[in-house]
Amino acid sequence: MKKLLYSLVSTLLVFGIAFAQEMPADAAPTEEQVLRVPCDNTRNEVTFDFAVSVYQRYACVSDLFQDTLIDLDKDFNVIPASAESWSVSEDGLTWTFKLKPGLMWSDGTPLTAYDYEATYRFSAMPDTAWDFTWFYSFIGPGGIKNWDKVVAGELPPEELGVVAVDDLTLEVTTEGPFPPLPGVMKFAFVLQKAALEAHGPYYNNDPATSVSAGPFMLESFDPGNKIVLVKNPNYTGYRPARLERIEGIYMAPATFFAAFEAGEVDRVPYEYLTPADFTIIENDPELSANYFRHFGDFRTDYLLFDTMNPPFDNLDVRKAFAMALDRDAIVKNVYGEIKAMPAHSMLMPGYPASDTEGELAEYQAFNCEKANEHLAAAGYPGGEGFPALEMWLRGEGPAMAAVYQASAASIAQCLNIDIQVSNKDGKVYTDAMNAKELQFGAVSYGMDFLDPSNLLGIWVSSGRHAWVNEEFDNLVAEASALVGDDEKRTQMFKDAERILVDDVGGVFIAHRWQGDLFKPYVLGDSFRVPDSNGISGVHWGNDNFWGDVYIGQK
Amino acid sequence: MTRYILGRILSLVFVLFAVSVIVFSVMHAVPGGPFDATDGKLPPAAMENIMRKYGLDKPVWQQYLNYMGNALRFDFGIPYQQPHTTVAALIRKTWGVTVQVGIMTLIVAFGIGIAAGMFAAYNQNSWVDNLVTFTTTLGFTVPNFVVAMWFILFFAVARQWLPMGGWGSSQCLIGSFFCTDWILPVIAYSLAPMAVVARYTRASIVDVKRADYIRTARAKGVSERKVMSKHVFRNAQIPMVTALGTEIPNLITGSIFIESIFRINGLGKFFVTSTLNRDYPMIMATFLLIALLWGITYLLTDIAYTVIDPRVRLGGRKEA
Repeated sequence: MKKLLYSLVSTLLVFGIAFAQEMPADAAPTEEQVLRVPCDNTRNEVTFDFAVSVYQRYACVSDLFQDTLIDLDKDFNVIPASAESWSVSEDGLTWTFKLKPGLMWSDGTPLTAYDYEATYRFSAMPDTAWDFTWFYSFIGPGGIKNWDKVVAGELPPEELGVVAVDDLTLEVTTEGPFPPLPGVMKFAFVLQKAALEAHGPYYNNDPATSVSAGPFMLESFDPGNKIVLVKNPNYTGYRPARLERIEGIYMAPATFFAAFEAGEVDRVPYEYLTPADFTIIENDPELSANYFRHFGDFRTDYLLFDTMNPPFDNLDVRKAFAMALDRDAIVKNVYGEIKAMPAHSMLMPGYPASDTEGELAEYQAFNCEKANEHLAAAGYPGGEGFPALEMWLRGEGPAMAAVYQASAASIAQCLNIDIQVSNKDGKVYTDAMNAKELQFGAVSYGMDFLDPSNLLGIWVSSGRHAWVNEEFDNLVAEASALVGDDEKRTQMFKDAERILVDDVGGVFIAHRWQGDLFKPYVLGDSFRVPDSNGISGVHWGNDNFWGDVYIGQK
Repeated sequence: MTRYILGRILSLVFVLFAVSVIVFSVMHAVPGGPFDATDGKLPPAAMENIMRKYGLDKPVWQQYLNYMGNALRFDFGIPYQQPHTTVAALIRKTWGVTVQVGIMTLIVAFGIGIAAGMFAAYNQNSWVDNLVTFTTTLGFTVPNFVVAMWFILFFAVARQWLPMGGWGSSQCLIGSFFCTDWILPVIAYSLAPMAVVARYTRASIVDVKRADYIRTARAKGVSERKVMSKHVFRNAQIPMVTALGTEIPNLITGSIFIESIFRINGLGKFFVTSTLNRDYPMIMATFLLIALLWGITYLLTDIAYTVIDPRVRLGGRKEA
């Protein structure tokens, strides 16, 4: 009887949404509503689901089999997704999320808070060894209660601070007060409890066992060859699809742009476009009109040091390096201005608490004369006696390797020192960085969630860098947990970032503009209409893109 | 002969054992592990769990014995890159496509290579010979991924005459007997072996043509056609078989560049991705497969010598 009632409600909702989701007048016929996207056949990918693996997802079409609890709009405001509302207890520790009634899986069963509970328990279980477990430890006070103990196997998953109170109510308890918690629920993806128990975590890899609560569902899957998703007819969420079908076609990254030009795919993400491709795009009015630049994940490229040992334990040496880097020239001549802006700090302008006024620029501005003064003050006048350095790269592709080569050349030339660049295997580099044994290297980082505690949190002394500043640590920890005074919180993060650039925890090279090249017939307000900053494009976290995008008349 | 073959098979077993020990030791000695995260590291407890789950918490010698014990029962483990399947299933699925590409490439490379080599040899020092020499040098020296990109840019992007890849996913004729997306990868892949075969063939024929027994045959009045087909070509086959023997394992284990660029979901890429991802079970399986194929191919090549040239005797038997 209960199932019958759910089916009735869901059928009504489906018809209601189908009625509401009228296609725009310029849309192509239904049978042409097919978006073809390239998938990188060199990536190591194992799952469609965030809750199974974050870094090994089928990236080209991931996260379409469920909605997260919240979404972000184009201006990065938190908006409802699966959760229609949320509230926090007086002590700031327990968040209650109310799910929208009527949400359902493609097999006709209801989506409930118990699915979210089962998902979190699965991700935290020691046997899962989820590659994103670090995240809920990393966010400190925002960490889910008992997360670390469950991951370590010291407590059973039932003790985790994610509890389904009833079908539509999910409670999330954190270790400490953490105001940005709703934004973190952008990562509250869900697996179906029944499928997880019956078929294991990879149930979505097989169309026979796959089940979706998102706008699309799996029709066929040939790993390394092709993924075909079709519109989920039972979808009752907030972003019903206009597309009928998405085809993910595996190909070599070097051929993405060629496939786009040959008309075999409709979209190419920026990271697969070479400088030569960008030259073609910039000189072609139609291509340039359909390239949409955006913040992406607010990624910053930077140089890091081992500040515990010579020569980088000397602040003057670090300052010399920071001022010897000609960022403007590198952005103009190596990245290309369509792909990056010079960086003088960690937070890209536009990110919360970022230095939009440019007040931090003076600390790491290019000034070769001053850089040499600092190097002389450190005991290496004119670079004399300075040890030869090897700058490590993390298995970078040609485009980014060229950026870091240019950075090394800029510093070496200005300071008259010897820097050799060595592009290491990714795993070798990561091992050395995590062990804090990396003397000098280049790397990038993009946000995990939209709060300064994220991008500044990676610089605290327990993070991945061999740089320690107690004042910085205290400011970040205090600001992260501060509730009720946004202005003060923002100022504390700004103060912390000032310490980071002044004490030269890293040398910041550039903030990357990301973007996508679309065919002119791929339409949708979610990426073609600019946000309040005048930036159009597929904004990070704005998953409504997949409900909005459609194929226009060709 | 039978004794010789059995002896070679036995020695192949020892080769496989040696390869397995060397590969297993080296892959574990290389820094970095299969579950090192790119951003942020796994908490120690989670890392311990995953190492235990895959048996990586045990001493390397014990891991080796476990692996080989399972491998003898044809259980090559779970590939870390695709944990929802098995190594054996993954190789079965992808190697079929790779072998298909390899066989087509062999046919094209040897068909055209032998014809071009013969043509050049029979017209030695003519413009035909120079053209073949120039073309084969080009085919041999230009890497196949460069040729592949040229083909894509010209035939798929600029002219749009042919699809740029997909292997069997585009227009097929006569059922699935011939698909248009086979053309570019097979030609791009066959250029280098074609060049090798053409040069071997030319050199062998030119060499045999100067031999005393050919002069004798001509002096005895044997027709030129018979001299060429019965004496020259037959005796020139031994170097060609040597070339074939080295090309077969190369071609049927795939090329990461050709497969990747032309969207062929074959085994080739796993030789590289397995190493980069420290996918130990897949590394072992692919290396053992290569060693096995090389061993078998060399054995078959040696047997082929005896068929082509009765003077070749295997097994160390002394002539009376």
